[in-house]
Amino acid sequence: MNKITYFPGCSAHGTSEEFDHTLKLVMKTLDVQMEEIPDWNCCGATSAHVMTENLAIALPMRNLVLAEKLENKTMGIACASCYSRMKVTKKHLDENPNLAKKINSTIIDEGEYHGTIDVKSMLQYCFEEIGLETIKSKVTKSLAGLKVACYYGCLLTRPKDVTHFDSPEYPMSMDLLMEALGAKAVDFDYKTECCGASFSISNTEVVESLSGKILEVAKESGAHVIVVACPLCQSNLDMRQPDIEKHTKTKINIPVMYFTQLMALAFGFPEKELKLPKHIVPVEEALKNIGKIEPEPEKIKKTKKAVEAESEVV
Amino acid sequence: MARVGVFTCFCGANIADFIDVPQVVEATKKIKGVKVSAEYKYMCSDPGQQMIRDAIIQNRLTSVVVAACSPRMHEKTFRKALSDAGLNPYMLEVANIREHSSWVHQKDKKAATEKASDLIRMAVAKSIANEQLHEISVPVTKRALVIGGGIAGIQAALDIADARIPVTLIERSPSIGGRMAQLDETFPTLDCSQCILTPKMVDVASHPYIELIPYSEVIELDGYVGNYKAKIRKKASYVNFSTCTGCGACTQKCPVKVSNEFNMGIDKRKAIYTPFPQAVPNKPVIDAEHCTMLLKGKCGICAKVCEKGSIDFKMVDEVIEREVGAVVVATGYDLWDPKPYEEYGVGRYKDIITSLEFERMVSASGPTNGLPLRPSDGKVPKNVVFIKCIGSRDEAKGIEYCSKICCMYTAKHAILLHHKVHDSHAYIFYMDIRAAGKGYEEFVKRAQVETAATYLRGRVSKIYKKGDKLIVRGEDAQLGQVVEVVADLVVLATAVIPYKENPPLARLLGISYDKYGYMSEAHPKLRPVETAKAGIFLAGCTQAPKDIPDTVAQASACAAKVCGLFSGDTMKKDPMISTINTENCTGCQNCVTVCPYQAIVTEEIPLGHGSKEMRIVAKINEGVCQGCGSCVAICRSMSINLAGFTDPQIINEIVSI
Repeated sequence: MNKITYFPGCSAHGTSEEFDHTLKLVMKTLDVQMEEIPDWNCCGATSAHVMTENLAIALPMRNLVLAEKLENKTMGIACASCYSRMKVTKKHLDENPNLAKKINSTIIDEGEYHGTIDVKSMLQYCFEEIGLETIKSKVTKSLAGLKVACYYGCLLTRPKDVTHFDSPEYPMSMDLLMEALGAKAVDFDYKTECCGASFSISNTEVVESLSGKILEVAKESGAHVIVVACPLCQSNLDMRQPDIEKHTKTKINIPVMYFTQLMALAFGFPEKELKLPKHIVPVEEALKNIGKIEPEPEKIKKTKKAVEAESEVV
Repeated sequence: MARVGVFTCFCGANIADFIDVPQVVEATKKIKGVKVSAEYKYMCSDPGQQMIRDAIIQNRLTSVVVAACSPRMHEKTFRKALSDAGLNPYMLEVANIREHSSWVHQKDKKAATEKASDLIRMAVAKSIANEQLHEISVPVTKRALVIGGGIAGIQAALDIADARIPVTLIERSPSIGGRMAQLDETFPTLDCSQCILTPKMVDVASHPYIELIPYSEVIELDGYVGNYKAKIRKKASYVNFSTCTGCGACTQKCPVKVSNEFNMGIDKRKAIYTPFPQAVPNKPVIDAEHCTMLLKGKCGICAKVCEKGSIDFKMVDEVIEREVGAVVVATGYDLWDPKPYEEYGVGRYKDIITSLEFERMVSASGPTNGLPLRPSDGKVPKNVVFIKCIGSRDEAKGIEYCSKICCMYTAKHAILLHHKVHDSHAYIFYMDIRAAGKGYEEFVKRAQVETAATYLRGRVSKIYKKGDKLIVRGEDAQLGQVVEVVADLVVLATAVIPYKENPPLARLLGISYDKYGYMSEAHPKLRPVETAKAGIFLAGCTQAPKDIPDTVAQASACAAKVCGLFSGDTMKKDPMISTINTENCTGCQNCVTVCPYQAIVTEEIPLGHGSKEMRIVAKINEGVCQGCGSCVAICRSMSINLAGFTDPQIINEIVSI
């Protein structure tokens, strides 16, 4: 049994309950015990770091100090924004030894910061610490037939010098994870573009134009489902979809799911465990593609053979 | 009795503004041994030098101190003034009161003045112990080695050979011609690259003073300026060039196909091949990595069809030696791999190509017979987007510098595209247009006006696929808007980077290279052709990105330098080198280990006068020694003396402070 310190973030207990729930199912299957940080607080999100630098450090720092007390090697974070704030704070603290003392003496004091814990997103944890082979071994219902567009958003792999995970422009970890479940990950050029994030409330038009573009390209790529690892991305792409359709007068109708929902499905949990009614864009229709494998057209087979023949010595 | 003359320079305002020169001159007069102390606005000018010459004669000076700029600047100038006045030129000392005082202590005139006086006092003390020295003559081998057979190497070889100096030109690939042979037409005149290059290639092959060794590389260079010894490895071609007629039957029948590097992998070549039809020499070689006969011992068809029996599968690499007096390095350039541009889909989308791939396609002798085609479906593209500065001026992904040639060749590509596909349209995303050069700005105008290429100032942030088109999303900074261009083909102007084997070659030759891998010139402004190692010169992109006119100019400059070096039968060399006092030398050979120039060897001398027993002592090779002084510092028995920096000179300096 592996143990991990878990930081759910505020959305996991609200808008992204389906993420939190399926994550716990999946981790249990993978024999990972999640220890939620007692009395965790808000990471500060977008608001703190646009207002005061010290508060933007202090809030995640308190969580880091509390997390260290649980003495697990890794702290896993569900939300991409929380992950980013935690990572940035850790980098600042590790690089400036006096910063932690300054914060402790002025704002919050939960004890000393040691910098001993690894901070990872849950996607990164699955990919790096559990590994694709182990995940593959737990699959009881292959997702073959389902085409997915993996959407990482702007924070999971960026900035490169902070996250040190996957490519900042064209990451592949989630794609590989989906392929391990049997699904087909399509080429998706907009996998790291911004969805508009918290402008969802203050400037909805911006989100509609940015998320609209992501949805359009995902649709174009032929995917049945967009897979995400961030609650805000999910809500923007899912919840704003009907409005976007209204504006562009085109039917998009592409469901947006968490990678853990698909993992749970592949691990054999029944559909009702995925909490599908929480979705705005219905998911059920897309999931019917599972098991439907398109036969390879004759023409492609022929060219494939020709290419293979060419690469060999004549 | 010493009679020293001290001449302090104002250097315009460079020195006089920060150092009280009259005060320094007065202080200097009080130094023991100083006979004359004078000042002048520009000591290096003719009146300034005349002042020195007159003073030497009138006051019968025994040594001279010039307090001015760095000796690297004008030491030679003043030495000549001394010798013109009948004094040994090495009786000169330079006190560097500009770089070492006025420039670095601009905020404290008093301290700067005091420091200048100190520097002069030290120089006076040193000059009193100076000894008369005489230039050394070393013999010269009048043959040049040119490394690299691109346009730079070709031009340098031809110019040197035309002065009736023998040249050995070596080229790593089977044919000379280099990158220029891959080009279609050249900016800014659009003359055909092949038409201006191939005659020069033929000239090289037929020139009586040029020895062309293709398919070879330098593996060792020993010796020193005027007397280098180069070891050259001739790679096994498996074809006997002396009997081969170049008929091409072997190439036709060879069943093995491999990616054609000359055409940037767009088509295939055979395992026995000539790189391109106009190759010089026009003889095929066998690619040992792909030939099934060499790999598995099966096939041998080429040998069966060759009427002359020129195929020799048993051929091995051969090492030959050449004695040369000078070396021209012209290794050329590579192109940056745009793989890190993941947001463009490089590597995922076939219809994103590099400029050199585009160049090969529009080339009349290229793999598509001069028509640009989409690699994905072979269709002729209508909308082509060119993106400049891929890797250049990009600290995050590529390199910091500007590759210099991309603005111009992209303008050329826009024009060529229009010539080949009349109803096409070129879109060019750029950061700046750098078109400094004769006829260059006009040429860019031509692309903008005559061919109506759309120039968009801004970076591309994303390329994504829609159907069979590529959507190029970028910024038009002049409109302040995001724009999307629907493209059939995207061409990336990738950065020029140094030839990948430059660093090992530089180490082998004993010359320096910069952080990118370009060979370093001796001085960025005043000695752009020489390296820091005497007798080794640089031509073309081996030193920095350059276009063809600049490359040819630098290659000719190399030739002029080589001819200058070979103008006499012997060469003059600075006498400031080490000598060994064999009486004291214990033969420990520490100096042999520390010498960076391999200038110290050992010899055996009799143990005592008339003795038959021998002992080992160090010996300096005068031609190689550069006078760095490392051996002096390491010598435990104080048996090494460096002329111009003897112990008495140094001790005098220290005592005078």
